[in-house]
Amino acid sequence: MEQVTALFARIAGAGTLSPQLLLWLGALTMALIMALVMAACAIVFTWAERKVAGFIQSRYGPMRVGRWHGIAQPIADMLKILQKEDIIPADADRKFFILAPFVLFIGSLMAWAAIPFAPGFVAADLDMGLLYIFAASSLVTIGILMSGWASNNKWSLYGAARGAAQIVSYEIPLALAVVPVVLYAGSLNMTDIVVAQQGGIWKWFALRNPFLFVSFLIYFLASIAEVNRTPFDLPETESELVAGYHTEYSGMRFAFFFLAEYANLFLVSCIATAVFLGGWGHPVPGLNFAPALVFLAKAVLLVLAQIWIRWTLPRLRVDQLMHVCWKVMIPLALVCLAGSGVWMLAFVRFA
Amino acid sequence: MSGDLAFYGFAALTVLSAFYVVFSRNIVHAGFSLLFTLFGVAGLYAMLAADFLAATQVIVYIGGVLVLILFTVMMTRIPRRGAGGRGLDRFVPAGVFALLLFALLYKVITGTPWAEKAPVSADPTTARLGASFLTDFVFPFEFVSLILLAAMIGAAILIRDRRPAADDGAGGAAAPTGEEERS
Amino acid sequence: MFETLALNAPSWSDLRHFVPETVLVVTFLLALMADLFARGRRPAGPFALALGGCLVALAAAVSSLPAGPRSILGDLVVVDGLAGFFRVLFPLIGAITILFSWASGEIMGPRREHKGEFYALVALMAFGMCVMASAADLIMLYLSVELVSLTSYVMAGYMRTSLRSTEASLKYVIFGSVSSGVMLYGLSLLFGLTGETTFVEIRAALLAGRADNFALLVAMVFVLAGLGYKIAAVPFHFWCPDVYEGAPTPVTALFSVGPKAAGFALMIRFFYTTLLSPGGGQAAAGAAAPDGVIVGPADWPLLIAILSVVTMTYGNLVALRQTNVKRLLAYSSIAHVGYLLMGFLMLTAAGLEAILFYLLVYAIMNLGAFLFVIALNNRLGGEEISDYAGLSTRAPWVALMMMVFLLSLTGLPPTAGFIGKMYLFAEVINRHWFWLAVVGALNSVVSLFYYMKIAKAMYFTPGERAPLRLEPLHTAVLILLAAPTLALGVYWTPFKNFVDRAVAGFAGLGG
Repeated sequence: MEQVTALFARIAGAGTLSPQLLLWLGALTMALIMALVMAACAIVFTWAERKVAGFIQSRYGPMRVGRWHGIAQPIADMLKILQKEDIIPADADRKFFILAPFVLFIGSLMAWAAIPFAPGFVAADLDMGLLYIFAASSLVTIGILMSGWASNNKWSLYGAARGAAQIVSYEIPLALAVVPVVLYAGSLNMTDIVVAQQGGIWKWFALRNPFLFVSFLIYFLASIAEVNRTPFDLPETESELVAGYHTEYSGMRFAFFFLAEYANLFLVSCIATAVFLGGWGHPVPGLNFAPALVFLAKAVLLVLAQIWIRWTLPRLRVDQLMHVCWKVMIPLALVCLAGSGVWMLAFVRFA
Repeated sequence: MSGDLAFYGFAALTVLSAFYVVFSRNIVHAGFSLLFTLFGVAGLYAMLAADFLAATQVIVYIGGVLVLILFTVMMTRIPRRGAGGRGLDRFVPAGVFALLLFALLYKVITGTPWAEKAPVSADPTTARLGASFLTDFVFPFEFVSLILLAAMIGAAILIRDRRPAADDGAGGAAAPTGEEERS
Repeated sequence: MFETLALNAPSWSDLRHFVPETVLVVTFLLALMADLFARGRRPAGPFALALGGCLVALAAAVSSLPAGPRSILGDLVVVDGLAGFFRVLFPLIGAITILFSWASGEIMGPRREHKGEFYALVALMAFGMCVMASAADLIMLYLSVELVSLTSYVMAGYMRTSLRSTEASLKYVIFGSVSSGVMLYGLSLLFGLTGETTFVEIRAALLAGRADNFALLVAMVFVLAGLGYKIAAVPFHFWCPDVYEGAPTPVTALFSVGPKAAGFALMIRFFYTTLLSPGGGQAAAGAAAPDGVIVGPADWPLLIAILSVVTMTYGNLVALRQTNVKRLLAYSSIAHVGYLLMGFLMLTAAGLEAILFYLLVYAIMNLGAFLFVIALNNRLGGEEISDYAGLSTRAPWVALMMMVFLLSLTGLPPTAGFIGKMYLFAEVINRHWFWLAVVGALNSVVSLFYYMKIAKAMYFTPGERAPLRLEPLHTAVLILLAAPTLALGVYWTPFKNFVDRAVAGFAGLGG
């Protein structure tokens, strides 16, 4: 963000713009970039999702639009969805029906602000960045509840109730899995956490000790549940709930849900990259350009893994879902937390 | 300047949505408006350089408490067109009492020389908070965990089987127990 | 790595002065874990652990009465004479509650159920009350009140099958959270006025004239609302009868003495420390002036006097109309709060001694009266006054013991209640609050009516004649409580000395 404001200052000439205005301009630009990243990842990942699904099911997936392997398919989809009729059900709660997608979207957009893509390239280098990300993403739950209730439809309501219960539950192992990393890094700042992992693959927190590796796995699984994807996609099971909480949405409003879902998918992968997989650090010596690309590459790999899991595994039942969270993941995460602490005391020398 | 603007923005958000919470006839609307109230309060915390408190406010109150409130409220059946008029017999005394209380607090707040501290710089607070939790304030910190443990036992007792079943309509809400323990 | 505040950071050695409390916490945790392994119809493990823990805490408290005030745990907790007294009282109350819960059908339930956590909660509540009595900081004040409240809510709703109990719990939660919110607002005003959180520092700031009087009055009234709720003084008493009636009787017995005494302990510590500047001390005893100078211009004693009169009059008058014994005892306990407040507003060492002595006596006799209700409820399944008809022939000794408790609650010789009231009224007259003494005496006369309604049912109303046998444990505890109620009415010097020593070591009066 400092770099962006500095850039604006250079363009306009020193001293011509007040610092207040620069601040606003910088913030606006960063917000715009983040929104664009979100839109871009929705576009890229819908295509990737369909292609991967195709490969897993021994078929091609979209092939026609845009000549090479249907590369322009998402753009066509987007154009189509923008032209669709905007339907608000007669018995829906209008105010909240309209508000819900925005709450959901803002929740995921806000969280993006604290992701460090490269040294210095972070919208808000907050001291408690990790906490802030969790705080922002709790808005998503409210958005889901709002949309489900406002639709005035039993499938939507069920979907929303399931979704909220699931997210609220899985937030706990998610947060607990990250705590050992905070213990190691001694900071909640995302940049600090990434910087603490530089200098070789063994510095990555996922590989620092066995407990942290388990923590990473817990984080990864819980994050799949956080974004409501198979095998944890109970809120939108098409065979029982039509499409869950966004059943009644159409056109542009539906696009917001769609956007938020893929943005969240990418977001949790970015967090995993930053927190567990060394951020922009990489093991290849001498390769020193474009740290943001390294970061994005890792995150995209994680997204692909999630897509792969989605098209491979069957769905859990509700009670199994809760069982896994409360009786397996949370105790395990606590054990990892304690284990990491002991490991630190035993093997890590404090400066 | 922009600080003032942000303050009045957050304050307006908090107060207006709080009014909506109180006066809305629809209990679910009231619940959702609470989102904005709590969010506004978090914003005010952030403006007071209490960044950790702001984030915690959002995580605990919006991510935990509010979700539980909405969960329960959504499971109730509400008439779509408001729940009938409230009688003047309740509205007037409550309103008078609220106004009197407001007048009292207004006089206290505006007419008092407060023990003001110099404005603190917006330093990050998290590390210092953590350090004091484990040194100076370790006793209250552990004490709170006992309170939460008691709350957890309470939640477990409340959801325990009840044989001569009173009506069990809302009892099955799938809310996981012990949400209030997250802090 | 990080610099800490300038407080004296707590260390493990602080726990040496915190033994009874530590024992209670460990008891709570052990009993909770033992409950996991409890087998059979009754959870003997948690019961034995909790009872043993309370007794050990009691023994530790008696053997280590603190000499002078000592701030521990980062100045958040002060251990002095007052705390020493209450850390004897609360484990005692806890132990008695645990004892009679064991045989009570309401708690243990008809079927095999794991109910061991009840005993763990009693230990936790005793711990919370001990901390209430020794809190020296706004933070600990609020947290300890919350701990006691939360355990109370859980215990009030303990009979899951009873709609009445659930309603009691819900009412308790709602009133409790409102009053705790009001109190918190008051505390925040107080912090805003003085910029301090420890009681002593607040007093220093107030003495330095750093507070606006009107705002101080509002803040203190708000705090009083929160604490008044805990002791069930009149404008804040609405929850009391319903909760007492609905909660399981052993829990009601605990509520009627435990949190009430803890509320008084906290009120004494908070108001005496923040609003009373140590002036004359013991030397002024005998004169009509309090043992200190009140900070600020508000006439606190008069305010509390009005509160006290309203409380006792309301409690007694409404109690007259009750037919349910639990409700009757609830209103009577409100009336007793009124008497205790008379001692509170004297602002003297002698007044405090009277309060503490009365609390001790009140704990014993009120627990006794409630135990009587529990024991009979186990057999008769009800607690209306009419249920007790003809009890003098069915169970003469039990009726006699109840008679002792009733006489003591009224304040008639030769029982402990008489001595307690005597000290209270003596101090009130000493300080020339004659009208207050007259109102108090009139109230005692009124209370005689409704206590004797129970006696009349037991002795003069004919009823069934079949002999009634109580649970042996209940009979034993009844004797255990009736004996001191009588004995203290005849020979009370050691207890009075004990109380005097507690007040002499109270940090608030410059001790």
